[in-house]
Amino acid sequence: MVDKRRQRDEEGEKSPRVSRFLVRRIASFWIDWLIIGFLAYGIVYLLNYYWYTVSVDWFGTLTLPPWGWPIAVVGTLEIALLCRAFGHSFGMRVLGLMTVTGDRDRPSMKERLRYYGAMHVAIVPAGVGVWLSPRSPWHERLSGIHLIPIPRRDEWSDPPPPWYGTVWGITAFVLFAMTVTLSWHITDVSLKNLIGEADKAARIWKGLFNPNFDALVADYPAPINDSILGALVETLFMALLATIFGAVIAFPLSFLGARNVMRGTKIRMGVFWIIRGFFNVFRSIESILWAMIFAIWVGWGPYAGTLALMLHTIAALGKLYSEQAEHIDPGPVEAIYSAGGGRIQTIRHAVIPQVIPPYLAFTLYRWEINVRMATVISLVGGGGIGRLLFYFKRELDWARVGAIVIAIAVVVWVLDYVSGRVRERIV
Amino acid sequence: MAHLVVDHLTKIYERGKVLALDDVSVSVEEGEFLVLIGLSGSGKSTLLRCINRLVEPTQGRVVFDGTEVTGLSQRQLRRVRRHIGMIFQQFNLVKRATVLSNVLAGRLGYVPTAMSLIGTFPKRDIDRAQANLEKVGLIEKMYVRADELSGGQQQRVGIARALMQEPRLLLADEPVSALDPATSHSVLNYVEEINKDGVTVLCSLHFLSLARRFGTRIIALKDGKEMFDGPPEDIDKDKFHEIYGEEAEEVEVR
Repeated sequence: MVDKRRQRDEEGEKSPRVSRFLVRRIASFWIDWLIIGFLAYGIVYLLNYYWYTVSVDWFGTLTLPPWGWPIAVVGTLEIALLCRAFGHSFGMRVLGLMTVTGDRDRPSMKERLRYYGAMHVAIVPAGVGVWLSPRSPWHERLSGIHLIPIPRRDEWSDPPPPWYGTVWGITAFVLFAMTVTLSWHITDVSLKNLIGEADKAARIWKGLFNPNFDALVADYPAPINDSILGALVETLFMALLATIFGAVIAFPLSFLGARNVMRGTKIRMGVFWIIRGFFNVFRSIESILWAMIFAIWVGWGPYAGTLALMLHTIAALGKLYSEQAEHIDPGPVEAIYSAGGGRIQTIRHAVIPQVIPPYLAFTLYRWEINVRMATVISLVGGGGIGRLLFYFKRELDWARVGAIVIAIAVVVWVLDYVSGRVRERIV
Repeated sequence: MAHLVVDHLTKIYERGKVLALDDVSVSVEEGEFLVLIGLSGSGKSTLLRCINRLVEPTQGRVVFDGTEVTGLSQRQLRRVRRHIGMIFQQFNLVKRATVLSNVLAGRLGYVPTAMSLIGTFPKRDIDRAQANLEKVGLIEKMYVRADELSGGQQQRVGIARALMQEPRLLLADEPVSALDPATSHSVLNYVEEINKDGVTVLCSLHFLSLARRFGTRIIALKDGKEMFDGPPEDIDKDKFHEIYGEEAEEVEVR
């Protein structure tokens, strides 16, 4: 008795390894339950879809009555537990866990059934037993079956079963099939629609293939007051300015966002995480959103577009730059430290010489992206060629839209070709 | 007081819990050419890097010219490091930069940070770089990119860079492991010349024959422990097997 208590105390202390095992155990259970829940949702969705739209709808929509929720919760839970007891469930597989008997054998059906029953003991008090002794909780001692990390291959004699012979394999397959089917229905994909309604787009195609270039050089009258070439030049300069300013600001920031440069004290790592966070957050906000904000802030026009592009460029280039700075050869850095140099000197004389060519390549590539983005940004008031594009589109002047599309394509293609060639040379 | 004293030095790498150096004590006199031998992973690189604290030792002391290197602040450490040159197995040159700027980088410990940020060096340092390139026979390659040179030439650039520090001690971490035998000899000849000019050399080598040819004294490490310390002649067949294991055969490199 005393021994048992001491043993529990030791386990209760939760060394890092044990607590990591606890996290794996609990997470694998939640993964299983969530997957079964998702499958149940998918089945109801598909049933509804076919009953309601394909068959006659004399059943109406299938909705869950209030008393149905507990049933759904308990039902999915039971299925998840069955998956865990009778094989290698998806969650267990993902987190590398498996069940064995006390003698490290495969459990028999009877033992598995006992394990299934015993698991309810752990579930009912919300997993307190699991928390108290992660290595051998109550329900495992009761059933004699243990959840262990999957041993390495060489400690394990039987060949692994094929994926379709395992619970996790079947679950994964059903999960994949269900996800594809659901997304097909949710996004309203319809081949019939695509082919059957093609004649509606015919006049657009006709316009696009008979481009009207009369506004190429000559200014188009109000409210445009600009030519296609003029607007294109505006777009190119917007992108160029945004790229140059973005690169100049991203350059010093990139070193603050490079782990190998900043490693050392806690303060430096703090700065590193802040800069990295800034890069990630601002990169994930599309520049079209910034353009909306700046269009109101500084007024419609190329200036707002440039600011929006610049902000996104800082974050995107900063991320690319700092990753590049992390992948340098550390040798020269070591050499400068050994010669008595300081951190700033290693950046200037060992890091920067190594990263300049890739930085230039990224910057060129970014200019290309910015030219393409600048077109879209006009939609929300960013100025440039997109202003003309969306104006003519609104006027249903498809021939002029065609001319603009061709002009953009030519510029982007030339830019792509030239920057590709230049990048080849410098990297 | 000896020139360099390594006193009961122990290094444990926390990640992986590897005991890289186990209570190593060495005392080096001025002008010695000390060769470290031992298998890969025996702790040679760690010992060299603990001396200038590129690797922070776990326990023990390093005393260089009467200054205790272990226990210096970062600022003081930089001043001591200026007098300890180092050359590396992989040369550690900036491959895209010119030979001259690689050599000048060896002078960074003497140049104020603000000045080195602009990337210029005093005229004297440039003259010194040219003199050192002359010494290693690479003066005509001054403006060539470092990666256009052969391995042996790159290592000679590394030597010239170390000479920029006007070192009193030269640490060489397997300087010829990446080179073929003939080139190895020529590179080590340059190191020997530096040694004859009065610079103490600590050099780790793979081949015992090279160690015998160049070393005035040999120290052997095995699993972080000191196995042998003495003149090259004292390593006989038994000692050799003790250091390199029973199955090893001695290979001649000339």
